[in-house]
Amino acid sequence: MSLIEIDNLSVTFRAKGRVVPAVREVSLKVEARESYGLVGESGSGKSTILRAICGLAPVSGGSIRIGGEPLPDPRGRAFSRRVQMVFQDPYSSLHPRHTLDRTLSEPLAIHGLGGADARVVQALADVGLPAKFRFRYPHQLSGGQRQRVAIARALMLEPEILLLDEPTSALDASIQAEVLNLLARLRAERGLTFLMVSHDLAVIDHMCDRVLVMQHGRAVEELAHADLAAARMTTAYARSLFDASADRMLDAAAAGARP
Amino acid sequence: MTLLSVRNLRVTFPSDTGPIQAVRGVSFDLGRERLGIVGESGSGKTMTGRAVLRLIRPPGRIEAEAMTFDGQDLLAASPAQMRALRGRRIAMVMQDPKYSLNPVMSVGDQLTEGLRRRDRLGRAEARRRAIAALEAVQIRDPDRVMDAYPHELSGGMGQRVMIAMMLIPEPDLLIADEPTSALDVTVQAEVLSILDGLVRDRGMGLIFISHDLRLVARFCDRVLVMYRGRVVEELAAGDLLAARHPYTRGLLNCLPRIGGSRAPLPVLDRSGDWADEAAP
Repeated sequence: MSLIEIDNLSVTFRAKGRVVPAVREVSLKVEARESYGLVGESGSGKSTILRAICGLAPVSGGSIRIGGEPLPDPRGRAFSRRVQMVFQDPYSSLHPRHTLDRTLSEPLAIHGLGGADARVVQALADVGLPAKFRFRYPHQLSGGQRQRVAIARALMLEPEILLLDEPTSALDASIQAEVLNLLARLRAERGLTFLMVSHDLAVIDHMCDRVLVMQHGRAVEELAHADLAAARMTTAYARSLFDASADRMLDAAAAGARP
Repeated sequence: MTLLSVRNLRVTFPSDTGPIQAVRGVSFDLGRERLGIVGESGSGKTMTGRAVLRLIRPPGRIEAEAMTFDGQDLLAASPAQMRALRGRRIAMVMQDPKYSLNPVMSVGDQLTEGLRRRDRLGRAEARRRAIAALEAVQIRDPDRVMDAYPHELSGGMGQRVMIAMMLIPEPDLLIADEPTSALDVTVQAEVLSILDGLVRDRGMGLIFISHDLRLVARFCDRVLVMYRGRVVEELAAGDLLAARHPYTRGLLNCLPRIGGSRAPLPVLDRSGDWADEAAP
């Protein structure tokens, strides 16, 4: 049994009489302690899958099971203890008028967990932020520091599964490296399972054991890490994504080849 | 031929703890070519671009030994002369279409506003030119987009509308501030080839501001690498991998590569002598 089992999932949005199928019959399985990537262009439905797991998108067909059990609706507290999400933009995902202390201790208060004081201090240390940041507001932090706070917040309840929605796309390259290293270290230390969305194939390649390429809401191709690295993809779309991947531009530039 | 020449540009903002220099002595010349400016957030690359158009609001100050565009002194130009340059001769594509398009005005009205006011074109002629501009940036159904409001467009479409808007007056110099950072790799490649075609066909000069070294390497002729308001290295784009400066090398090395090692990524080391030299 896999930890996350998604079977023929469809998500359909209805707005102004228009029907927009965002995810169409996508199936995937993520093993415990695995890091699984979703990659594709905007509008390919990759983030919608994460939102559907959290109950933030209208599921119109198929099923999502975690640990073999279907998810209750609404998701409830037991779900938040197991699954947490880190959003793309740390500028909008943190409450601007809450100090870090309040942001980090709120999940503990909701779940009636004690020892908030020590846990907040520890959480800041775990993501590499100085303890003096505890009573600061998000606007006093840089983008990279904010994303560290968002990761710390997601880890407050010690979940097994982290859903990562483009966790570094709003950050500079140098800061991206720090945040990716942090995520890799936390996963190794805590045995976390990652379901990670990115449009950057190089980031997915660095972080994930398997990757699902998506386009127009459909699953196009699933690739193991070794196959991605060796460019053994079978579909034209996965190939075009690979060819357009930014890290290959360096090789092109080095060879003096211009588009 | 030099289109734009900038000598020892400084942009200063006052603060409670004394003046802060966002740009500290930047010099460069630009011909009809593609010049990339790369650096992290806060390195002063956007401020450099805005300073060329004198789009720094007081109390921010722009100082330079010289800043000339096509023989005209930008520092001495009157506000009216600057207005005549902006848009018509030098255009700037801003970073985020979500914030730079007017949310309560249809795309068509925004695209034709300049044509009707500045060039005094009639409604039908302005619309025809605007649709041609949308077609030039590969928008397939320009009629629908003309009647749409910005919130009805995707990020990639919005960015292309911005580019189309800036290109209608056929400027000699385009300053593009992270024009593709909100876009997917596939759309990004498309927008870049549009810009590339415009530089080639119209002989336009382009300043391409980006934090993505890889993109700049592939797309530009020359690259300025900025750190803390200074240019730390200037390179031909093809020589980027042979960059000498530890900051440039650090920026290159911290990027993950497909098929690369999965060891922790090297993190930019800011403890070297170069970082101290760059400190204010």
